[in-house]
Amino acid sequence: MRRVLASIRFAIVAAVQNFARNFAVSMAGVFTMGLIMVLVGGTLLLSHTVDTILIKAESEADVINVYLQDSLSMRTIADYEQRLRTDPRADDVSFISKDEAVIVSQEEGFSFMQSAIAVAGSNPLPASIKIHARSLADLTQLNSAAVGYPIVDNSAGKPTSYSGNVIPTLQTVIAWTYGVGLVLSAVLAVISLVIIMNTIRTAVYIRRTEIEIMKLVGAGDWFVRWPFILEGMFGGLIAAALGAVIVSLAYRFLLQLANARIYLGITLDGGYLTAMVLILVVVGAGLGGVGSLLGMRRFLHV
Amino acid sequence: MSLAAVLPPRTAARADPGPRPVISFHGVSKTYPNGTQALHDLDLAIHQGDFCFVVGASGSGKTTLVRLLIREEAATTGRIFVDGMETTRMSRRKLPKLRRKFGIVFQDYKLLPRLTVAQNVAFALQVTRPGQRHMKEKVEETLWIVGLEDKLDKFPDELSGGEQQRVAIARALVHRPRIFLADEPTGNLDPDTSWGIVQLLLQINHRGTTVVMATHNREIVDLCRRRVIAIDSGRVVRDEAEGSYLREGEATI
Repeated sequence: MRRVLASIRFAIVAAVQNFARNFAVSMAGVFTMGLIMVLVGGTLLLSHTVDTILIKAESEADVINVYLQDSLSMRTIADYEQRLRTDPRADDVSFISKDEAVIVSQEEGFSFMQSAIAVAGSNPLPASIKIHARSLADLTQLNSAAVGYPIVDNSAGKPTSYSGNVIPTLQTVIAWTYGVGLVLSAVLAVISLVIIMNTIRTAVYIRRTEIEIMKLVGAGDWFVRWPFILEGMFGGLIAAALGAVIVSLAYRFLLQLANARIYLGITLDGGYLTAMVLILVVVGAGLGGVGSLLGMRRFLHV
Repeated sequence: MSLAAVLPPRTAARADPGPRPVISFHGVSKTYPNGTQALHDLDLAIHQGDFCFVVGASGSGKTTLVRLLIREEAATTGRIFVDGMETTRMSRRKLPKLRRKFGIVFQDYKLLPRLTVAQNVAFALQVTRPGQRHMKEKVEETLWIVGLEDKLDKFPDELSGGEQQRVAIARALVHRPRIFLADEPTGNLDPDTSWGIVQLLLQINHRGTTVVMATHNREIVDLCRRRVIAIDSGRVVRDEAEGSYLREGEATI
């Protein structure tokens, strides 16, 4: 146990010393790898954001909101709702009042809605009937049936939220997003590996006498390797931390900007952000360690 | 503290070499990938407690012999035994065990410039016996043996060549090896300093450690009158118990 602890201590101290002595080269590698981590993290977050938008759209694709004229009596609306309920193609039908519409829109990110209403003096959002279709194949027919009533508000030229069957297109876009993200991340990972390999090769070259002595006095291969593996892992971790901080800040900023300018309907996903940071840290440390092993392989046959 | 207290006890091996040599070469040849044949069918036995010089011109095969001993190179044919271990078929995993039997010094000292004298010596223990107790005492004791007890905190570039070689000897000695291997240890030193180094090696040998020293230094070999193994073109051409650098009547080697 004492020997193991002493070996671990030796490896950590040597790794930190390596990093410090080789600081300029180490930091050049760390910054380059940090930029790559920004790209990897950015790719992950971008594909996640696109996915969130698309999956949300997909989950709402079986829903048709039929916008109603203002000043209808509750009885008229209840009759209309009842008729739709009896339609075998409709799974669930519910009424959303003008006030509820304001709440829903606020939940979806339109935080300014309440103040907009206060300024305008009245609520511009229409009441609606929300219909869940039993099958996506029935959407078009259900939409046609729903709009064929005089109480439907056609004043804006768009009586319902239905805009054609977009599911196949969405699924294709999701698949492409995943594929492109995966390939891009793999390419970036290989580039990181090469950078770490070169950094460690320089570190090994600088310490070649030390390695030679270690081998000559009878140090085992792994005893010699561990400091360099740890050094690579340190570099990878710092790069990952750097990348995670930059990507997280950029993600918050861009999301705020996007939600303020155009309606995205998504909020900051703290869970995914944490997962991304963990992924970057594990990938960074892993790439650092593996890169070191590959980088020093050629030099250790003393 | 007396020298006898800190050096390994002197064994009776020199008077009675015993049945098994500590180093033996059996029909060893070495051909490098470029086709150079460095050693030809070499047979050799060195017993525990021996002090032997390996002499020969540059390119004669001395360094190859040293490299084969510590398995820095593998023999092309033949078998080599070190302290009962056959090194020729040894896996990489077992090399550390083999190398810990040796204390090795070179002409160029191979000290770490950023470490102090004491740290350079301690490095060998940290690497081979991490967590060993009383490391500081062992290091100081070894530096006392080589006469550098007052230079513990100096850095290598603050020392003379002879002192640097003494640090290298201390580093090679600190783990109490069975065999002390010196490859041209006086190559960079003036005659007086060289003689000091050789006296130190003789002291180490006097306490029972086998010493093998490859050298070009004619004066030292002639003064010591110890075993001389002369190599020429990869072959042992002379092996004398109390030899000189050159054969009787020989002008140059």
